[in-house]
Amino acid sequence: MADDMASRYQMMEELGSGSFGVVYKAIDKANGEIVAIKHIDLESSEDDIAEIQQEISVLATCASAFVTQYKASFLKGHKLWIVMEYLGGGSCLDLLKPGVFNEAHVSIVCQQLLQGLDYLHTEGKIHRDVKAANVLLSNTGKVKLADFGVAAQLVNIKSQRNTFVGTPFWMAPEVIQQAGYDFKADIWSLGITAIEMINGEPPHASTHPMKVLFLIPKNPAPRLEGPEYSSTFKDFIAQCLTKDPERRPSAKELLKHKFIRNAGKTEALQELIQRKQEWDGGRGLTKDVKYYAETLTTLNRGAIEDEDDWVFDTVKAPTMRTPSKNPSMWVPAGTDWTTLDEEESDPDPAQLMEDMHISPSPQPPQPPKHQANSTVRRTPGYERSPSIRRANTKRRSSGVKQPLGLDLSFGNSPSTVRHFRRVSDRVSSTEVPPQKGSSVFDENTSPKVVSGDSPSKEAQLGRRAYAKAIGHSCQEVLSTTGDGEKRDAISRLAEAWSDLEMVDPEGLYHIVRIMNEKFSADHRLSNLVPSSPQPDSPGRPRLVLAQNNPHLKSHRRRQSTTEPPPQSPLSNLPGQQVPGMEHTKQLSDVLYQRWADGLRNRWGF
Amino acid sequence: MAFFFNRGRSRQPAEVVRSTKELLLRVQEAPNTPKADEELAKQLGQMKVIVQGTQEISTSPDQVHALIQATLQEDLLYDLSRSIHLLPFEARKDTQTIFSHILRFRPTSYAPDKDPPVISYIVHHRPEILIELCRGYTHGQSAMPCGVILREALKFDVVTAVVLYDQSQEGEAAVRLSELKPNAPQNGDGVFWNFFEWIDKGNFEVSADAFTTFREILTRHKSLVTAYLASNFELFFGRFNTVLVQSDSYVTKRQSIKLLGEILLDRANYNVMMAYVESGENLKLCMKLLRDDRKMVQYEGFHVFKVFVANPNKSVAVQRILINNRDRLLRFLPKFLEDRTDDDQFTDEKSFLVRQIEVLPKEPVDRSRPSREAQSGVNTAAVV
Repeated sequence: MADDMASRYQMMEELGSGSFGVVYKAIDKANGEIVAIKHIDLESSEDDIAEIQQEISVLATCASAFVTQYKASFLKGHKLWIVMEYLGGGSCLDLLKPGVFNEAHVSIVCQQLLQGLDYLHTEGKIHRDVKAANVLLSNTGKVKLADFGVAAQLVNIKSQRNTFVGTPFWMAPEVIQQAGYDFKADIWSLGITAIEMINGEPPHASTHPMKVLFLIPKNPAPRLEGPEYSSTFKDFIAQCLTKDPERRPSAKELLKHKFIRNAGKTEALQELIQRKQEWDGGRGLTKDVKYYAETLTTLNRGAIEDEDDWVFDTVKAPTMRTPSKNPSMWVPAGTDWTTLDEEESDPDPAQLMEDMHISPSPQPPQPPKHQANSTVRRTPGYERSPSIRRANTKRRSSGVKQPLGLDLSFGNSPSTVRHFRRVSDRVSSTEVPPQKGSSVFDENTSPKVVSGDSPSKEAQLGRRAYAKAIGHSCQEVLSTTGDGEKRDAISRLAEAWSDLEMVDPEGLYHIVRIMNEKFSADHRLSNLVPSSPQPDSPGRPRLVLAQNNPHLKSHRRRQSTTEPPPQSPLSNLPGQQVPGMEHTKQLSDVLYQRWADGLRNRWGF
Repeated sequence: MAFFFNRGRSRQPAEVVRSTKELLLRVQEAPNTPKADEELAKQLGQMKVIVQGTQEISTSPDQVHALIQATLQEDLLYDLSRSIHLLPFEARKDTQTIFSHILRFRPTSYAPDKDPPVISYIVHHRPEILIELCRGYTHGQSAMPCGVILREALKFDVVTAVVLYDQSQEGEAAVRLSELKPNAPQNGDGVFWNFFEWIDKGNFEVSADAFTTFREILTRHKSLVTAYLASNFELFFGRFNTVLVQSDSYVTKRQSIKLLGEILLDRANYNVMMAYVESGENLKLCMKLLRDDRKMVQYEGFHVFKVFVANPNKSVAVQRILINNRDRLLRFLPKFLEDRTDDDQFTDEKSFLVRQIEVLPKEPVDRSRPSREAQSGVNTAAVV
């Protein structure tokens, strides 16, 4: 069920890391909508999972134009996926990179944020981590509050919290003093965020975060000074940064402040987005984009056979192993991992692809060794292949837009693998759709006996061709095709390729090889052949997004902006317990006690 | 709009309750009528303001009191509890707020140690409300709001008792507090037992919320739960082990192993723990958890496993398994979760277990003392 949910999404590049996990961009295959998906690795979190559920329940009960919209959440293995609305404009922190905002921009952002905060506060929610990094913009300049990693729901609208969360520079004095706080804490943080937007950083930014925790309650509240700022702006900041929360105005009250009433339209914020794009362009997109890749360890479940496994009664150890939950991830004992290793360490897959069509091998193909092997083999997270990276740089330097998701590695679409695989399980031997070069198929009628031989070179190449090129190509075209009927046809083709790869990788190899030969033979088709890569090959026009496609813009922009690493400024503060583990202490006390009692009983004391 | 709003504010609570009830019945008969939905949402919004106030307007105790009286008179809570999934998004949240406030409400003159009046009313006269709230887990839309209301109510042991012991089927009257038979074994079809299914079968949101409530039921009111577990030991742990501990869902699995540890190591549940760690089957399950390929599952499993080893009166079945695996365990444990180097307590416990396993006798020794089993009245089958 969860895997079905995951397969709805085509994973794309990493957008950044939030307080609880890594965020990726993805496409909802059902409707082509772009979404942001947060992946939380629950294995790496000792937190009580209930804390994370808390975040979800706060998110799921929000529906406001000023708050990033929650869409769904589900489990995939030990990762929790939270699907959110995608905002292409980036965070205010990103937008600050080229330079500070002017007053007009700050007033628009604050006005929007106040509406978001007013919504949350009316709902009995406190955000608790308002700062530029948690303010996201849509491409059109709409402002939304994001990252509810620390948001709290008050059961009673008038009650107060005592928990110590947030980011030091933005924290209200009452939060630091743990005197109990309410909605007003967010207003303070908003004031600090306003300073951050106009100055580029919050007050005390150069001070050590630990020291800031003492400064904020002790010092007078920060003020905006200098003749370059208007008096209404200074007053707005002064109002937000009122140290006494009782006297600090609410979001509703601040919406009536002159600075906010005079705010312009959100469209004006597009200037900031534009500025950031130009800035990125000027610096060149040198930063490597990180792609979603399912890690080997995630998929490796049950692979390690241990002869030390427990012995229960007369049953032999191997059969007592916990049955694997997901058959497609299960690797039979004795699986040949050398294939994988070879491939992983292969320096240049592009070379292999070239070999593939220049050195046609006359050997009769050999049947694949383990079918299960092939699925596992292609699921580990491959890094983006060098050849693809090369193609990218070419495109950039020639000033041509790159196709959306060109460099998706196969690991980017593990869900698709499973999707295809499910189909191929059903159809044990499938017909391949009519293709050029299907005459090769005669060779493949050899009986599909599972033999102990290692897979032939052709088989490896065939699988590689599938994993590195064909699967992706289908996915890419699919993700840029809107028409239902066309999509259907493409996915049928993709399934057929997948089936062929499962059943007869050699056959696949030969089809591709002969296709390439025929392409080369035809003078019009010859530039499709991989040995002479044409970045802007006219043969694949659908992969290239239109210049004005907003997805492409945001894609490019996002490539160079990753959010700062997750901050855990409080983790080393005294008094921070590891939540969720409290029971272990108590438990051991009880245990030792019981053990001692037992000894006493036995020895008859 | 302002006109409506002002009129609404001045309307009597009883009137709001009556029109809410009327609209609710209409929506139940013909769901998805936008006009009725909208009207109903508006009425519920007004009820919410009456019970909760806003940031600017505080509540009037008289108005709240009047509203609660009218609510009970019209039996509105019952109708609300079974139709939350039919309500629009905001109205579901409003209902949750209204419910929580009404359940908590105490008149100023009320003794603070007494259960709030609405809680008493429900457990004595309308327990069906609680059962319907639990059944909210059958719908994705109502799971979360029902969960929040339930957990608010489960703070009171009388509510937990009704949820634990009710065995009514849909359409039947639920058990009244005065009719509870605390020592009668359960048939496993009651509403509490449905939680296993909701946790196991629901989508992530439903499952996670149902688990939170399930945990609340089992950990909050200790004496109640101890008696319940003692009289339903086999049924409960049978389901707990198969449905939850061996769940396909990582979250359900990890959370339930942790909960198992909490239940067993609660002093109040001493007899339950002793019965649990007597069973060889339970030990096997636990040892498999140690070999799970997910570290946090191993870790949570360890905290149950150690109870078996630390128990000075191990059953013969448990001794036999440990003795048969002695060498394996002694090789396994030192390397087990080695990277938890900063977890001193874990390291200490691990070496404690190693010592315990080293000193196990060559052959199982039967030192079970029949008096204990008779007294706890629970599983003795594991003692061969």
